[in-house]
Amino acid sequence: MSILAYIVMGIGVAFMLLGVIGIFKPGKDFYYRILVACKIDTVGLLTLGIGLAIYHGISFFTGKMFLIVIMILVLNPFVAHIVARSASRSGYDSIGDSTDVDESAGEK
Amino acid sequence: MYVIFAIMLGLLVPYCIRVAVGPSVWDRLLGVNLISSKIIIIIILYSSLNDLPFLLDFAIFYALSGFIGTIFIALFFSDRDTKKGLGDRK
Repeated sequence: MSILAYIVMGIGVAFMLLGVIGIFKPGKDFYYRILVACKIDTVGLLTLGIGLAIYHGISFFTGKMFLIVIMILVLNPFVAHIVARSASRSGYDSIGDSTDVDESAGEK
Repeated sequence: MYVIFAIMLGLLVPYCIRVAVGPSVWDRLLGVNLISSKIIIIIILYSSLNDLPFLLDFAIFYALSGFIGTIFIALFFSDRDTKKGLGDRK
């Protein structure tokens, strides 16, 4: 059983290490970075949480771990969306300069 | 398990570099968000290694407060015209 847990945790850690490369890629704008960062965060915590839950079997630890995993699964993309939205509304590093019309400027 | 713990600690460094280098406020905010989620993982791993299940409550609370803090900082910086610096709220 713990072998399975270690495999799952290994996958999670591998994702995280690969994700760091995505953050520091030159020539990519902010929106690419936040997309990568949010993904590796959620995936990393998810796999590590499940790995630890498997490792500890049925216990209070697994229950709390399940709660944390669900919470992070919901909250992390939500926060990344808000940060990206506040960046795009302030016109930072706007993606396509061709669409100069700022659609979101209208609804206020 | 200790190896993963060490890797997580080692992972904090690039995120701190991201916060320091980040050209704009939102990059720094992104770095802070990443660091806080890495700290959550460190708390979880620490509580798993030393068999202290009550530490997970701190991880839950820290996750919530970290996210709420990031949300309000992001909202504070939104609707600002970056050319004029501290533009007034539209």
